[in-house]
Amino acid sequence: MSIVPDVVPAKGRLRKSTRPKRLKMDRMRRREAMYFYLFVSPFFIGFLFLTIGPILGSLLLSFTRWNMFLPPQWVGLQNFSQVLSGNSLFWTALGNTGYYALISVPLGIILALFIAVLLNQNIVLRRWFRAAFYLPSTIPTVAVVLLWLWLLAPAGLFNEFIGLFGIKGPAWFVDPSWVKPGLILMGLWGAGGGTVLFLAGMQGIPPYLYEASALDGAGPIRQFFTVTIPMLSPIILFNVVNGLIGSFQVFTQVYILGTNNADLMMVPYLFQEAFDYFNMGYASAIAWCLFVIIIAITMVVLRWSAVYVYYEGEVRR
Amino acid sequence: MIEERKLNGVRLARPGRQKKPYWTVGKVIVYLFLLAGGVMMLLPLLWMITTSLSSSHYAMDFPPQFFPKQFDWENYVKIFTESGLGQSALNSVIITVPAIIGQVFASALAAYAFARLRAPGKSVLFIIVLATLMIPGEVTLIPTFILFKYLNWLNTFWPLIVPNFFGNAYNIFLMRQFFMSIPLELDEAAKLDGLGPFGIWVRIILPLGKPVLAAVAIFTFTANWGNFLTPLIYITNPHLYPLALSVYTMTETGDNAVLSVPWNLIMAGSMLLTLPMTLVFFFGQRALYEGSNVLGRVG
Repeated sequence: MSIVPDVVPAKGRLRKSTRPKRLKMDRMRRREAMYFYLFVSPFFIGFLFLTIGPILGSLLLSFTRWNMFLPPQWVGLQNFSQVLSGNSLFWTALGNTGYYALISVPLGIILALFIAVLLNQNIVLRRWFRAAFYLPSTIPTVAVVLLWLWLLAPAGLFNEFIGLFGIKGPAWFVDPSWVKPGLILMGLWGAGGGTVLFLAGMQGIPPYLYEASALDGAGPIRQFFTVTIPMLSPIILFNVVNGLIGSFQVFTQVYILGTNNADLMMVPYLFQEAFDYFNMGYASAIAWCLFVIIIAITMVVLRWSAVYVYYEGEVRR
Repeated sequence: MIEERKLNGVRLARPGRQKKPYWTVGKVIVYLFLLAGGVMMLLPLLWMITTSLSSSHYAMDFPPQFFPKQFDWENYVKIFTESGLGQSALNSVIITVPAIIGQVFASALAAYAFARLRAPGKSVLFIIVLATLMIPGEVTLIPTFILFKYLNWLNTFWPLIVPNFFGNAYNIFLMRQFFMSIPLELDEAAKLDGLGPFGIWVRIILPLGKPVLAAVAIFTFTANWGNFLTPLIYITNPHLYPLALSVYTMTETGDNAVLSVPWNLIMAGSMLLTLPMTLVFFFGQRALYEGSNVLGRVG
């Protein structure tokens, strides 16, 4: 992919000049380089103080016990052994987060893809339909959560609605066993955000692929699985990786619902330890575990996807 | 986006197919799904609007009344006079506007350098920029909090504004891709006219890069306007709460929970929080499409 920077400068062209000119060239080059460093310096100052510094600081902190009032105490690997010990809430949080991620990410992608297929047909009012599906994904999370808290109240509109079909709705966010399904439902409401990406991808699929497969006798459903899906696979991969990382970073929903351990997730757990109990060392250890998990998931998905994702213009071995 | 659709519409109507009637069984099913899905997507939103317009009495009605018997515009006055959301909205603006300016210009400056200027070590630096995309914000959360605490920035807007002035990797990458598509001849011509790198950035790159600047401005707006975690950590003084935090605290009525929660006011507050975001998305759609289109090509 073209992520690799194309920074090979056109040396040959510049080198041809005679000596005094080259000296002048060098001075210009040096000036250009100086401007380069000047222009990228804000980012790298931020990188130093707000990224790499804090990452190392967090690693260091994770080996200490510190409540921000007394001086930090070096405890070695104790935080990590505590985090990873059998009865730690970490496993509850990881379990809930995993459950949420593994259900909501595939469901969200399937729903987004389904909507995209519908919208990609030759239909009237396409813009309006697209807007309707896209709208929920533009709403700030806080407003979404408050709305759904109200919507999924035990005697709320949603239960009233499915009651029309004779289904007795659960107590959702009040009932610990229904909190996670409630969260997933709420997440699916924003699936239209992914639809936009899929639609853009579908526009880019060359029509001759469909024509060729139609000549071979493939119907629309067959075409969906043999043409559309493979051609969209890079975008699907992008959504899978982003979705997984995003669900491991879920915070606002869970914090606002505030139902103890039934929906405790990784970041709320970290937040609780750091800013409610001021266990900065322990919370840093959680942060590092989360970091490692996210990197590992990304690596596994990318490695595994190499088999399935099709890039146009890629040389296959 | 619209042109593309139309183009596609034309493309789909292949010569062989034209004889087929428009309304086939498949079409009907597609429309049924679209209508049902569209209604399901919009109903919650409509519920937000009607609740925000119902008096507290009707909001508590059981079974829930989808359309209030009378519209109560009072709620939209009350959220300013009683819930103090006016101050919070102002706070949100005070945070968001400088954040957008800082983010756009810092990212554009670095992106221009990566797209156009040559310097030793450039490719390594660019790989570092891309690598930061992999780092979840949670890892840096605690040390950053400690840093800002020692700077005495708790209960100020600085922790929410200042980090934007360093740019971020995603925006730099997006802008670099866009800037690289601007013809190099323009730079060369400007150089002959005696412009330096800064002049080229101001006179050539920024004007021609407007779509991507707008896209980054929109991303920054949405990220900051709805942000909940960061203000929750840094701001404890209710007078300094941004809108998202204030609307949330309306649910904490103190005493006996659920019943005393003023859902009609909360929904009015949520509308106030939602509206700017939705408007920005819809008016910025074109810029978003043109500006972030480059990413689609990257795959």
